[in-house]
Amino acid sequence: MIQIGITGGKGGTGKSTVSVLLANKYRKEGKKVVLCDCDVECPNDYLLLGQELKKAKSKVHAQFPKLNEEKCQKCELCVKECRSNAIFQAPSKYPIFLHELCSGCGLCWHLCPNGAIEIEKKIIGEIFVNQIDKNFYLVTGRSVGVVDETGPIVTKVREAALKLAKDLKADYLLSDSSVGMHCGVIRALIGVNLAYAVTEPTPLGSHDLKLILELLKILKIPSKIILNQADLGKKELVNKISKDTKVKIKYEIPYSKELVFAYSKGKLGKVNIL
Amino acid sequence: MKIAIASGKGGVGKSMLASTLAILFSQKKTVVAVDCDVDAPNLHLWLGESEKWDEIENISVSEKPIIDNKKCIGCGRCVEICAFDALRLNKNKPVLNQFFCEGCAACKVVCPAKAITMKKVNNAEIRIKKNVHDFPLISAQLYPGEVGSGKVVDRIKEKADRFEYEVMVLDSPAGTGCPVIAALNGVDFVILITEPTPSGFFDMKRVLTVVNHFKIPYAVVINKWDINPAESNRIEKWAKDRLIGKISYDKKIFQAIASLKTIIASDLTAKKEIEDVFINLRKMLALHKIEQNS
Repeated sequence: MIQIGITGGKGGTGKSTVSVLLANKYRKEGKKVVLCDCDVECPNDYLLLGQELKKAKSKVHAQFPKLNEEKCQKCELCVKECRSNAIFQAPSKYPIFLHELCSGCGLCWHLCPNGAIEIEKKIIGEIFVNQIDKNFYLVTGRSVGVVDETGPIVTKVREAALKLAKDLKADYLLSDSSVGMHCGVIRALIGVNLAYAVTEPTPLGSHDLKLILELLKILKIPSKIILNQADLGKKELVNKISKDTKVKIKYEIPYSKELVFAYSKGKLGKVNIL
Repeated sequence: MKIAIASGKGGVGKSMLASTLAILFSQKKTVVAVDCDVDAPNLHLWLGESEKWDEIENISVSEKPIIDNKKCIGCGRCVEICAFDALRLNKNKPVLNQFFCEGCAACKVVCPAKAITMKKVNNAEIRIKKNVHDFPLISAQLYPGEVGSGKVVDRIKEKADRFEYEVMVLDSPAGTGCPVIAALNGVDFVILITEPTPSGFFDMKRVLTVVNHFKIPYAVVINKWDINPAESNRIEKWAKDRLIGKISYDKKIFQAIASLKTIIASDLTAKKEIEDVFINLRKMLALHKIEQNS
């Protein structure tokens, strides 16, 4: 099985579009494909494929602190040590845990000398599986509510997709990352054999392309560039980066109304242009 | 007054809107602009600026555990409790996956042999331009492969707060996670920008969860509304009187940005449309009693 990561740094360059187009290409070649949407904060692949996320196949849990006031001595140690600044304590009051800033690392309950911090398990994410056709499955991760640390959801959805792909004896596992270069992106890309950096021929796209290629180099992942909307803007910007970094441009996708239409109507699964 | 621009989905026009609004505000008030997209900062480009910064400051927002293998007794407790799967046992000794480590120090606390110490890492830089269109721009870059984007956002917001300003314009990153939460925490007003596609609409509603969690009043702007007028209509109906403007799609925008020309300095249709957004925004800020004397 070949695992391919789709990433790009900048938002809106067409990561999800390229992911679905790649899946279409491999299916046409008679291959079995699992597409994993690792953008757990804003998953969109299901929308492009005209699918709905109905019942979660599994849930992702994380642990969070909960105070036992009877045991708390108000020593403020947890407040001082929390790296996420997620604990607030007014003078002579009990500490308050700010869930939206809490990464769920557990430092506070391991640290508390009085055993006053209990562990509360919460659902932070859901994993969905959609079978698109005989040879094409979509696995989607989605965070639930306000979640500060979404990286662990990415790891769980990757694991679920990898297991499914192995069970199905799939030929390709595609991992569609979120924007940026943060932990969620890294977790989506760890373990892939090849990554495609999707970009657009603008100063913005090329600025972020340089950053993501640097990240892929640090992660030691072989990479190629996919230039989307290739005929709009300044192509030479991307050509130069390709030359300087010795990362080849694999595909150039011209701007097309057909593609934009299929994208917004959830019919991208039927477009074959790669 | 702090105003943030957010969207959920990337590439829908946050930085375009943030840069133009910052310039418009600066014609009437003292402004500081903050680029909270520390993964892939672009606001300076939209403000017509190059990569030349007046000040660059290396910062450390994260720590990494250093494991003393001589002291380590191989109990595996650190591996067991790590919430981020960043530690693995290899031949009875913990091995760190630096890309997964959040620097939380839980491993240090649980180690019975005191074999773990935390070491600060230089993982980002704050970048300042003192005078962009008569106001300062605070930006940052998290180094590739490093973690802690939310903490970098906290730091640049603190930095920006030290400037004298009446309006702070914050350009949020895409998504809904830690850097977005850090960007939106404590702001007075949010402008949600979207595009008329199902993804744009859904993702805006996803980031709205964060906005509502902090109980921040918000307005909605539809960018590229004319690429899909029917979907744009659906969003308008949903937004009701929170809609403060629509911006048309224009391929020429990329030619302007390629020559580092701001929208304000161009003759694009978007210029007039964002000026209208600005007028409506100020009416709404007055209505919410966020901005007085407007």
